[in-house]
Amino acid sequence: MKIKEKLLGTAVGVMLAAAPAFAQEVQLFHDKGFWSEQLQSVGDAAAETTGVTITEIPYANAEQYKAFVQASIASGETPDMFTWWTGATFAELVSSGQIAPLDDLWDEMINSGGYGEASKELFVVDGQTYAVPLLLARWVVLYNKPLYAELGLEEPKTWDELMSNADAIVAAGETPFLATVHEGWRGFIWFQELMLRMHPEAYNGLNDGSVAYDGQEVRAVFEAWSDMYAKGYFSDPRSTEEFNDYVRGAGAMYLIGEWAAGLVVQAGVPADDLGVFIMPNAIDDAPAAVIVEGSPLVVSVDGAQDENVMKALRFWVSDEGANAWGDATGNYIGNNSAEAPNAIVAEVNADIAETSATAYLRWWEAVPPDLQGELVAEMNRFMLDPTMKTADDVMATMQTLNAAYWADQ
Amino acid sequence: MDRAAKDKALLDRIGIDQIARNARARRRGQLGLALVFMSPALILVVGVLLVPVLFNIWLSFTKWKKFTGFGEYAGFANYERMPGNPFFNEALINTAIWVGASVVFPIALGLGMAMFFRNLRGAETFKNIIFIPRILAPTAVGVLWFYVYAPDGLLNRGLGLVSGRDVDIGWLYSDATVTPAIIATFVWQTAGLVMVLLLLGLAAIPKDPIEAAHIDGANRWQIFRYITLPLLMPTLLMVTILSVLAGFTVFDLLWVMGANYPGQRSLALAVFMYFEAFQKGSWAFGSAVAVIIGLVVLCVTWVQTVLQGRVDRMTR
Amino acid sequence: MAFDISTLDLDAIERREAAKHKGSTLKLFAAIGFALLWIVPFYFLAISIFKSSNEYSRNPPLALPEGIAPLWDNVTRAWELGSMGQAMMNSAFYGTVGASLAVFFAAMAAFAITRLDIPFRNGWFMLIFAGTVFPFQMYLIPLFFGYQKLGLLNSHMGMLLFYTAICVPFPTLVLRNFMSGLSREMDEAARMDGANEFTVFFRIILPNTIGPMTAVFLLQFTWIWNDMLFSTVLGNRLETRSIMNALLVFQGSYSSIGPNIVLTAALLASLPSIVLFFLLRRHFMQGLQVQQS
Repeated sequence: MKIKEKLLGTAVGVMLAAAPAFAQEVQLFHDKGFWSEQLQSVGDAAAETTGVTITEIPYANAEQYKAFVQASIASGETPDMFTWWTGATFAELVSSGQIAPLDDLWDEMINSGGYGEASKELFVVDGQTYAVPLLLARWVVLYNKPLYAELGLEEPKTWDELMSNADAIVAAGETPFLATVHEGWRGFIWFQELMLRMHPEAYNGLNDGSVAYDGQEVRAVFEAWSDMYAKGYFSDPRSTEEFNDYVRGAGAMYLIGEWAAGLVVQAGVPADDLGVFIMPNAIDDAPAAVIVEGSPLVVSVDGAQDENVMKALRFWVSDEGANAWGDATGNYIGNNSAEAPNAIVAEVNADIAETSATAYLRWWEAVPPDLQGELVAEMNRFMLDPTMKTADDVMATMQTLNAAYWADQ
Repeated sequence: MDRAAKDKALLDRIGIDQIARNARARRRGQLGLALVFMSPALILVVGVLLVPVLFNIWLSFTKWKKFTGFGEYAGFANYERMPGNPFFNEALINTAIWVGASVVFPIALGLGMAMFFRNLRGAETFKNIIFIPRILAPTAVGVLWFYVYAPDGLLNRGLGLVSGRDVDIGWLYSDATVTPAIIATFVWQTAGLVMVLLLLGLAAIPKDPIEAAHIDGANRWQIFRYITLPLLMPTLLMVTILSVLAGFTVFDLLWVMGANYPGQRSLALAVFMYFEAFQKGSWAFGSAVAVIIGLVVLCVTWVQTVLQGRVDRMTR
Repeated sequence: MAFDISTLDLDAIERREAAKHKGSTLKLFAAIGFALLWIVPFYFLAISIFKSSNEYSRNPPLALPEGIAPLWDNVTRAWELGSMGQAMMNSAFYGTVGASLAVFFAAMAAFAITRLDIPFRNGWFMLIFAGTVFPFQMYLIPLFFGYQKLGLLNSHMGMLLFYTAICVPFPTLVLRNFMSGLSREMDEAARMDGANEFTVFFRIILPNTIGPMTAVFLLQFTWIWNDMLFSTVLGNRLETRSIMNALLVFQGSYSSIGPNIVLTAALLASLPSIVLFFLLRRHFMQGLQVQQS
């Protein structure tokens, strides 16, 4: 009995400890558990500057998190401040009528000179802006500088140069590209990039039903992709430690969001050894383009009425906020009057300014949410067995799902 | 009939009525008391388990609108969607494979081990060793075997040593091997329990008929086939049903070990239901799949009751 | 049956005995081989926790560790990355309190069903036992939405409520069977002495039911400790998640930690149930016996 009472006491203690109730506190719900500590450090910085603490509340898994937010909104309990995704799923969220427009805040942000209209575009639905960036990441190629130097390679400016670099790396006994199916969401990365580089005109059409997943453009992408696998360009897709794999040199080039630069450095790559370039186009005369991932931070209609929530949000987009977040993670939120969080971001900023590259929405956000998981699983399936036989099967399944979805709309 | 007798009969009747009334009154009194004793269990079971089941059945006949909620009656629309869904069909086939495998392998292996270890020196130690995997949580077992099956994991390296060549099979990544591999893990974890339960059943079998058969010149196979097996039938039936239900509703192992397999959603109906509801947000459709799972479980339970009755009559 | 001892072929008997003995030695070796094969994954687990990430990928999986030094690092990293301390506290709370309450409530219900004079005795029992009939998948969606509506999602109370409820029906079955076998003379005697039903329950029935109650408590505690599904759906936050749910984190968010850490976490999460099993083996086996009845 004694032991039981003691346990009960401890348990009650745990529950009390787990019920924070500070007066000036705003809760930020998110699914980015790997940035828990870093988000909290920004939250603490907010407390010092504004007196309002941002308490981050992480969800372990993105899909669980979506389910939680959907159910919350359906039962009228929308969280005050939370993260979401751009694209089709963002429009869906806004259509619930529970998300506050932030156009006034954006006017302030743009007038202050730190933010450009282009970053705002990601969060516009029907003419109104509904979010600020939690993160803005361009999808780029991180590469192994020492290996490039050793083999006498240059950053590729054309597709042919990229391929000849890859051949040189294969000839040296190394693997050119790192790509895995770890965590189940990564399958689209090379698919979207090849699509954009080979058939930019069809890129957006994939996501409104006008381009078929078994059409000639997609087939060309799979043929090129399969061919690259056949030439030994890619690392073992079955790895479960992608960042460590990069550190171990499993692939010389790593196509990923800018945000990975911080994580790779954290895993042990010296920051100076990390280079970056934007993937070149595979067809001549195509305008410069880059894929952008925007992670929105939204507030509910009720939250926008709360002075503390808006204070916290203003801090987030301020230079201090952007610097705190950049210092902690190397993440960029589009605020150019803040310091660039790391050399990689600075270089990508410079590249984009020079080429005035057009931003394309990431496939992951652009695809209808109902199709997202099933289609990406099919792409993973191809990566695990990158033959044209599997590709045919994958394309057929993807188009069946895609056609069924658009027929329903 | 004279008057005295009539009176006596009347009195008797009153007496009997009175006694019955008293009993009923007492029962009512005790019913109130009994409800006090049963109320925590009843409230919990009805409120947290049975009402949700009814709610789930209702949901399966509605249409779900994102961010708005349930409500609109949809008839059998959610059920009609199932046959056309390729992932549902695959999940159904895989679940059937799981059911078949969980009848055959744990039982065959468990029975074999029970017969084998029964009269062995140090049987206790062997029993404990075989039982150990059962103590671990399925989640932990899944994590362990995930690395056993990894491309550079224990199994491939072991096969490499035996064959003298590099073995690089992605056990948990290819359509052909993923289900058998996870079934093997399931058997590893459950066969020990099956064996222990069967040993308990074997220990309860009377020795006399076996000795009698022995003296009559029956060989070991005949004794097993005609005496031990029929007497073990009730235990065997119970263990088989336990195993089928475990195999039919297996989730944790598939969730952990299938995490990197692109077709994870079609590994079994339970996983498919989870994906549809909690990942895709097709709540109403997901609840319809849950109802199908529930119907199958009810059928298995019903079959068990019928067979149990038959076995009881046979062994009586 | 009488028989002439001279008709016995003693040599044949001796030969048969010898063969039997040889057979059993062979059998013993086969059994040892089989058992070794069976515990290879365990051995793999046990040695992996002593290896650093580097050592793990460099050496064969069954090679003995080079030292035991990396163990501490593995444990602390697993502990911190998975917030396992919090998760263990949570699971210990759900397991001890939830299973205790459930077994106690089950004993109360079993007492009413077996010892009190009530109509529809079997009906009441079947109502409670119906809680074991449905597969878990049928609870998930309604509970998720119901909890959301009631504000129980991601709360310790909500988790405790569910775990207690799911653990009531099975102990009710076991304790009902046990109590209906207890002699009625004692409680009749107590009632004669003027004891009310509460006194009978607490003073007479409960003390005599401690054995089976402990056995079902252990089974239910283990069930709660091992649960991953409901914790994922109903309590997926750092503050409320169970130990098995914490284990899942290693498969997702941290793609930069090695198998040695994940395996260490798996062993840590299992440690309490392993220890409990070896300490209370007798009760567990008793539990299995009641599971069978």
